Amino acid sequence: MRRTARLLSAAALAVAAAGLVAAPAYADDEGSLEVYPSSAEPGGQVTVNTAACEGGTAEGDAGAVGAGAFTLAPSTHEDDAIGQFRVPPSAQPGTYEIVAKCAEGDHEVSGDLVVTLSPARGQVQPRGSVKTGVGGVMGPDPVQTAAGVAALAVAAAGGTWLLHRRARGDGI
Amino acid sequence: MRRFSNVAIASVTVVSLCTGAWLLESGEETHAPPQPSAAEARSGRPADPGSAPAPAPALPASPPERIRIPSIRVDAPLMGLGLTRSGSLDVPPAGKKNLAGWYEAGTAPGERGTAIVAGHVDNADGPAVFYDLGAVKKGSAIDIARRDGSVARFTVDAVEVYKASDFPDQKVYGAADRPELRVITCGGGYSRSTGYQGNVVVFAHLTGGHR
Repeated sequence: MRRTARLLSAAALAVAAAGLVAAPAYADDEGSLEVYPSSAEPGGQVTVNTAACEGGTAEGDAGAVGAGAFTLAPSTHEDDAIGQFRVPPSAQPGTYEIVAKCAEGDHEVSGDLVVTLSPARGQVQPRGSVKTGVGGVMGPDPVQTAAGVAALAVAAAGGTWLLHRRARGDGI
Repeated sequence: MRRFSNVAIASVTVVSLCTGAWLLESGEETHAPPQPSAAEARSGRPADPGSAPAPAPALPASPPERIRIPSIRVDAPLMGLGLTRSGSLDVPPAGKKNLAGWYEAGTAPGERGTAIVAGHVDNADGPAVFYDLGAVKKGSAIDIARRDGSVARFTVDAVEVYKASDFPDQKVYGAADRPELRVITCGGGYSRSTGYQGNVVVFAHLTGGHR
């Protein structure tokens, strides 16, 4: 089973390496490096973050795309370490592996950055209106309606009582 | 004694009758969300040029985490949104009333371009995160807390209502050459058969940011 898996992944790697400018990176199973945006233009700024370093710093390596080393600092957001680098203006289109290594322990995580010449993001704009309501505030308020009915019941009881007394000639 | 109790019963009866009638009457009224006045529209009174904050330079790309609109007491987490099959912006799950979303295939708030945030005005249980969005005024602040720890501050330029049947896609979603933000919810009249007839859209641009 394990052997099959290894064979399969080797085959996948070979196919990918033949078919692409750069072989795609495989995310670490024990946590990965989030790359945002995952697709950037040359000259663009990229933010990466990972939860794998448990609140510690990490050394980032964007050498694959020619951006060199950078530091991931702990952030207030959960236990994430966050770092930024700039894609060199001379970077060629392709998929690059960005790596980060936790300062404590030997844990290493990686994520993919796709470099494109035209802006891939924001090209598809949403269209039309947004369905952000169902009218739940538009109907009668059930609690208020119930209270109103209860108050009217009290009034009816009181009225009946008074009429009853009057009918008996109890001096209203 | 008897006279006293008669008076007491009579007053309770009258008070109950009035309260009951008022409760039923006002309970039938709708609690429609606030809608922007014409003065908040782009074509309304111009923002005071002396006090209007200057646009701030764009921030590096970082995904947003929370939206805060202090003037209407909004403080909500943001989830990533995609598009529906018809190409309209998807929405957060209606069951979570204090949750908004952002169009994650588009511009991140603070980056150069038009970032889009949307949230519900109500759900089946009552008011939701952007119930009061239509009450936002020109010059109000909108803060977006971002994953890199920075906060992008936007200042409102206009609040508009658009009909779904005549939605100005380019105006709302179109590219901008400075960092801008749109915050969208439902509005523009309601009918029982077709629901809300349009959207309230808040237009804002980046005017500051801090770590």
